[in-house]
Amino acid sequence: MTSSPTQALATTARAVAASKIYGSGDTEVRALDAIDVDFEQGRFTAIMGPSGSGKSTLMHCMAGLDTVTSGQVIIGDTDLTTLSEKDLTLLRRDNVGFVFQAYNLVPTLTAIENITLPMDLAGEKGDEVWVDEVVDATGLSDRVKHRPNELSGGQQQRVAVARALAGRPQIIFADEPTGNVDSNTAGEILGFMRGAVDQMGQTIVMVTHDPVAASYADRVVFLVDGKIVDELADPTPQGIRDHMTRLGA
Amino acid sequence: MLRLALKSLLAHKIRFALTAGTIVLGVTFVVAAFVTADSLRATFDEVGADINTGLDFTVRGALPFGEIANTPPIPDSFAGDIRAVEGVEAAEGGLFVDGVVPVDGSGEAASTVGPPLAGANWLEDESLSQLFLITGEWPQGASQFAIDVETFANYDYELGREYQVVTPTGPRAFTLTGTMQFGFPENAGAGVVFTVFDTATAQQVLGFEGLFNEIAVRAAPGADLDEVRDRIEAALPDTAEVITAEEAAEEFGDFFEFFIGPLQTILLTFAFVVLFVSTFIISNTFNIVLGQRVRELSLMRALGATPRQVRRSVLIESLVIGVTASAAGIGLGMLGALGLGALFDAFGASLPDGPMPLRPRTVVWAFAVGVGFTVIASLVPAVKASRVSPVAGLQESTGDDGGHLRLWRPIAGAALAVIGLVLTGRGLFADFDSVTAQLLSLGIGAAVVFVAVAVLSPLIAGPVVSALARPLPRILRTPGRLARDNAARSPRRTAATAVALTIGLALVAMVLVVGQSLKDTFSDSLSSAVRADYIISAQTISGVPKTLAEDLRAAGAGTVVGLDEDLVQIFSPVAPDRIEQTEITVTDLAAIGEVANLGVTEGSLSAIDPASALLVNGDRAEEWGLSVGDPVELVLVSGETLTATVGAVFAETQPPFWDDWLIDQSLYEQAVAADAFEQWVAVKGAGAEPESTRALLKEVLSAYPQANLEDRQQFQENAESNLNTVLALVNVFLLFALVVALVGIVNTLTLSVFERTHEIGLLRAVGMTRRQLRRVIRWEAATIALYGALVGVALGLAFGVALSVAIPDEIIDRVSVPGVQMVGLVLVAVIFGLLAAVLPSYRAGRMNVLEAIAAD
Repeated sequence: MTSSPTQALATTARAVAASKIYGSGDTEVRALDAIDVDFEQGRFTAIMGPSGSGKSTLMHCMAGLDTVTSGQVIIGDTDLTTLSEKDLTLLRRDNVGFVFQAYNLVPTLTAIENITLPMDLAGEKGDEVWVDEVVDATGLSDRVKHRPNELSGGQQQRVAVARALAGRPQIIFADEPTGNVDSNTAGEILGFMRGAVDQMGQTIVMVTHDPVAASYADRVVFLVDGKIVDELADPTPQGIRDHMTRLGA
Repeated sequence: MLRLALKSLLAHKIRFALTAGTIVLGVTFVVAAFVTADSLRATFDEVGADINTGLDFTVRGALPFGEIANTPPIPDSFAGDIRAVEGVEAAEGGLFVDGVVPVDGSGEAASTVGPPLAGANWLEDESLSQLFLITGEWPQGASQFAIDVETFANYDYELGREYQVVTPTGPRAFTLTGTMQFGFPENAGAGVVFTVFDTATAQQVLGFEGLFNEIAVRAAPGADLDEVRDRIEAALPDTAEVITAEEAAEEFGDFFEFFIGPLQTILLTFAFVVLFVSTFIISNTFNIVLGQRVRELSLMRALGATPRQVRRSVLIESLVIGVTASAAGIGLGMLGALGLGALFDAFGASLPDGPMPLRPRTVVWAFAVGVGFTVIASLVPAVKASRVSPVAGLQESTGDDGGHLRLWRPIAGAALAVIGLVLTGRGLFADFDSVTAQLLSLGIGAAVVFVAVAVLSPLIAGPVVSALARPLPRILRTPGRLARDNAARSPRRTAATAVALTIGLALVAMVLVVGQSLKDTFSDSLSSAVRADYIISAQTISGVPKTLAEDLRAAGAGTVVGLDEDLVQIFSPVAPDRIEQTEITVTDLAAIGEVANLGVTEGSLSAIDPASALLVNGDRAEEWGLSVGDPVELVLVSGETLTATVGAVFAETQPPFWDDWLIDQSLYEQAVAADAFEQWVAVKGAGAEPESTRALLKEVLSAYPQANLEDRQQFQENAESNLNTVLALVNVFLLFALVVALVGIVNTLTLSVFERTHEIGLLRAVGMTRRQLRRVIRWEAATIALYGALVGVALGLAFGVALSVAIPDEIIDRVSVPGVQMVGLVLVAVIFGLLAAVLPSYRAGRMNVLEAIAAD
């Protein structure tokens, strides 16, 4: 069993004894069971695990979309468990980026409007030079005036990643961003995300069940029954598959 | 299929309730209209039967034409003649004359908002009498009177004291001896104020010496009624007629149809407006819902449901909604009838209390319109649903139906618009046999125009809504941008939602334009046509006593001209085929020119002989081919004929003041002993200071409490305020249509929010606050409402202008647009839109972000 190298990297987000419990008594379900995990700055982390392992719940709680039952969730210096619904919304808007599996874009807005949506909601101009840079990186500069239904699935997801990047959030959470596309398109999206980490120093946490997708990450965290059972640094698809098999998933 | 339909309804209770709610409102209106009218009918039928028990026949003057209310009096000697007839046990004459005003102990004159202030006599034979003594004694002799219990209770009266009573023959003092009522219950008199004297005194003070209005007759027990009737008829001249007690009772009940019928029709019209608007709402709701259920419907199709079965399941759903809504509407309609009574009370027109009969006819109508309108509304959606293909669910569908507007839409819309406009135009300008047919043509035409607007509106809704909401993104930034795009994103849905508001506001705007034009025409004609400084009118139907004019002249008030009105039939040898039944003005032709500007175009007022002259309006003269010197015959309701000669032709007719035909009172009095001016007394000051003239008039008028003194300014203001009250009442009813429109917006927004769950989740995830989200929905609603309002006001302006042009010039001769009110209407509509968004935006804000994102 390999464990991640303990380099002295700054931590962008972490969970401390985070539990998420649904129901009570006999029907109690521990989606997260006292999880401790750190996500370091400038790194691309994948969260893997079988269905029902709690990987999505972990991501939602880390991102301020959901709340933990006990324990702490910290992004930067902010303890999310102390925030109101409104402050959580503002935190998502200003400090967190999102990429979902599908329907990432508002259909009535153009690609560029979708990219700047969080900034626009904040009423901020944003860093135009940076936004241009992000748009260039997507390779869609000539299509930014198009609406989502005029873009391919892969293009839509690249716009979604660009939106997450545009506000320079402290951390980006991606929930199965390639779950809905073919493998070529998946490579294109994951390559773009990898580039965002390498060239822009962005911190990304991605939930996936695809070993190939996870292999783009610097580190893979394995979840089973709401607990972190293992992790893997600098993963390869084959290494991940071996781990998964050993975990019985 | 039935179970499926029911399950689908139960799964969406709120939507079900909102959809049904619009129909419930319409049915409530229908039921309230019928129940109110039936309640009045039952009340008057009961009173009619009640007051006619104990007598077998009523004898009265024969009426060659016109309303029963105009029946001429008969000589009192007939009573003796009838008593002499074999088989008659008792016969007594009665009087019922408007224009008697008792003044209470504090000097306050009794008044009503319409019903007569009647003078009457009591009968010796109690069972013949329609009046019942309640307390005290019946009055005896020339100085006693009794009043009805309601007036006794409402004013300051005590038995045994002396009070002033203003009669058609002048004011006199009488001692109050008792209280009485007319039939049962207490308010069966429907607000009539009764002042009762003994028969001889009544004849004298009411100006009916030697006359009766009618004679109540009872046959001897066991006599053959048909034979007795024949014998009475034989004993009397042709100028009298005999009716049975049953006929009299029926006639009494029917008499009130003159306002019950129109009241019912007006209320039903409003009900149909509400139902018509509801149809659009329901159709739209069904369309959106079925769009969202495409997956479910295609699965059913895939599993083997035929298109027919799908169609039927939708129709069953609508049938259930219709039946439930109708049942609820019947219950609420009973409450609504009570509410209507309260509403009329609030506007000063009180209706008598009575039973509230729910006739089978009412129930049948309630279900027919409730179910009918709902099913009609669901026809198009049902057909659309049945066309869903079995594989539709496998394809991507957002439920939004923008984009594919087909060619049929502009063609069908244009065709409907043409049909609607032709019908409306025909209703406005063609000649009709009956007013009902004309109004029907207008109504159907307007309805078709509205349908055309509904069909065409989606073609322009997208760009127009975008343009209207242009400022939103600048003011509200991204939420404004999203609100605008959401409103413009499904033009068909936006248009269908807005059309309800469009209809409501079009009607309100139309009423306001016509009302304003009417007011302006009136005030303008008042200043140009009326030269009098003061106008004295009466609160009673029968006007002010003629002694008032004499008293005013004696006091030196200046030129005093009375104007009276009567119903006649007009004939002339110049146009032997023509006959016209109309009200004519009876006045002082020698002095009329001083108080009125008739605009004489032919002949001269100074050259005529008042005793034989007739003045005629130019348009009538042209129709008849009359010119100065031509003979004309006027047949009065009494059957007597007056012969006149056209003395002058004039241009200005002012319906509130004078009619198309005028004769002098000296000619009129050859046939009728008139003792009151039914219309007005116009006074032109003798050049003295206005204030001193007013003081003088007031002093004379203190003896005539029923007279109402107004200068031109006040007269105009009062006329306008009366009109405003009517307009307000109409608009209160139209408000219900606007409430339905509001429900429509709520429905659409609720469904749109549901449909955009995922999108809302996404927006919330990337940092849209609840406040911003609510703002998006609120302004989407306001934008839809603004669109509907602008189309509605534009349409209403067009209708209002057309109607103002079509209405005869005597009533409306111009088009005035109340601009401020129009802008106000649009603002109100936008506020309605914002209100409609309260619930849907609240629900959207409460949505769980995670579940919303997970939704598909």
